[in-house]
Amino acid sequence: MHPILSDRRRFLVYLIAWMMTGVLIARLLVAADLANWSFALLFSLPLALFGSFLTSSAYFVCRSLPFNRRSFSLAALVFASAALISGLSWLGLCYGWNRVLVLASDDVEVLHLSSHLLVLFFITGFAVYLLALLAFDVYIAFDNIREAERREAASRLLARDAELQVLRSQIDPHFLFNSLNSISALTAIDATAARTMTIALADFFRQTLAIAEKEKISLKDELRLCENFLAVEKIRFGKKLGTEFEVTEEAESALIPPMILQPLLENAIKHGIRNLPKGGLIRVTIFQREGWLHIAVENPVSAEPGNSTGNGLGLVNLRQRFFALYGEQARVSWQRGDEKFTLEMALPFEPNNLL
Amino acid sequence: MNKRLQVLIVDDEELARRLSLEYLRAHPDLDVIGECETGLEAVDAINKLNPDLVLLDIQMPQLSGLEVLELTRRRSGVIFTTAYDQYALKAFDLHAVDYLLKPYSQQRFDEALGKARKLLTHETSASSLTSPTSSSTQALETLLAQQSEKLQRLLIRDRGQVHVVPLDSIDYVEAQDDYILIHAAGKSYMKTQSLSELEAQLDASKFVRVHRSFLVQINAVQSIEKTSKDSQVAILKSGAQVAVSRAGNERLRALLS
Repeated sequence: MHPILSDRRRFLVYLIAWMMTGVLIARLLVAADLANWSFALLFSLPLALFGSFLTSSAYFVCRSLPFNRRSFSLAALVFASAALISGLSWLGLCYGWNRVLVLASDDVEVLHLSSHLLVLFFITGFAVYLLALLAFDVYIAFDNIREAERREAASRLLARDAELQVLRSQIDPHFLFNSLNSISALTAIDATAARTMTIALADFFRQTLAIAEKEKISLKDELRLCENFLAVEKIRFGKKLGTEFEVTEEAESALIPPMILQPLLENAIKHGIRNLPKGGLIRVTIFQREGWLHIAVENPVSAEPGNSTGNGLGLVNLRQRFFALYGEQARVSWQRGDEKFTLEMALPFEPNNLL
Repeated sequence: MNKRLQVLIVDDEELARRLSLEYLRAHPDLDVIGECETGLEAVDAINKLNPDLVLLDIQMPQLSGLEVLELTRRRSGVIFTTAYDQYALKAFDLHAVDYLLKPYSQQRFDEALGKARKLLTHETSASSLTSPTSSSTQALETLLAQQSEKLQRLLIRDRGQVHVVPLDSIDYVEAQDDYILIHAAGKSYMKTQSLSELEAQLDASKFVRVHRSFLVQINAVQSIEKTSKDSQVAILKSGAQVAVSRAGNERLRALLS
């Protein structure tokens, strides 16, 4: 895209500037006592017009030599010869136009083109063209940088989307295989329980597939997902695993990113309940207050230091996801007491109007 | 040759243990002598009962299956059971140590037992420390060595208790006759291991062997002082003093600079 010819306003400004230049040349000719005003203007304005078009072509010369494929010597040669051609054509035109005018006005030669003057015209044509070449070159360089930045920003966005996708779909494969093993054990012990577990597992996976694609889901859907997840885990861990949910009706309609509560429950089981010989109770509290949705998950932990596996990576993940979605508008914090682990998050409350 | 084999089942999930028990009914020559829910229980049971065969879950809370082996120094007669642990599975030499991927079938279970029986009749099952030439022992050694590269903590057994010592808290380790003393956070722990063995497991950029019988953590060193013409002492932040040999001094300075 030509920076001047493709933009009407710029083109107008450019033309006016050249006309002013024409007036200036006329003024100089008058001042040097080489011609009178009317003839000088008649001579210089069309020349300026021609010059404007000639100079704008410099852009295409620059474009023909992309930065990544030019050597200095080649560029210098091309630029010099282009400027030379420009100088010569300018010179020829000055001379020719002057002749035409002289013939047309049927007058004695009004503007005497001395060799001095011709050299001056040539140098002007050469220099102006060369300057235009350099200016366009700088313009193209900046344009390339801007373009690169734009592309980088776009790719950053894409990368973040991909990252979100990955963060979103992290269901622990251990969970699946262990559950299948439990079902396998139950078939000989308690066929009904095996069937119940199979169905809960299938429901859980079907739901994760359904919601993982979505940007936001209602809290109600997330809670249903958690119910199925816990149904499976309760068969695996038996009496060890107790849960208690306290969710206000208003909060249930809130829109939240999918899979934010389920990984927290998974964490609570993996790093809390599982390490306690007698197990314990996971308590989930969710309510809405002053435009914020507050979610808290509380679970007992063993006082002994646990396995070094998974150093809160899931929690860091959650924080990153929140940051990507809400920027500074959401908060995730956790604290580990001697026998209790508490996680709290707050995100902007968005009611789901479709309910 | 038809010796009865004693089996210990270790898994934190009751249903998983029940499944192994069910599969074991098909093998009347095997006696289940115990079930363990946690790694800690397993460590005690292995030491007390010395079973011929351990069915060992890798993914367990508190102590993983690999840490159980590390603590009991058991190197044979193990069948791992795991849901999905790519890291650990890569390390297996499949002919030496067997593992069962959950969920596993009776057929697969029987194969693993058959393999284990064969290995056990080859090896002297009297002691848990078998001849170092056996392939399964070597495979396990490799696995544990790889595992310990990402060691974050030291496990020390002491009279039926397991102490977990975070690596960051260690000031220095001192070699005695046939054991080492680990000094961390104002306490000392005894471990039956050679200093070189421990050194190999630790991060060389953090722990330096400053003397034939001393290993120090760089971050714990306050200063190095000369005591005579060619002997130095490292003064630790805890106030302890550790002898530094000439070679040790060079190593220490290389890391500190």
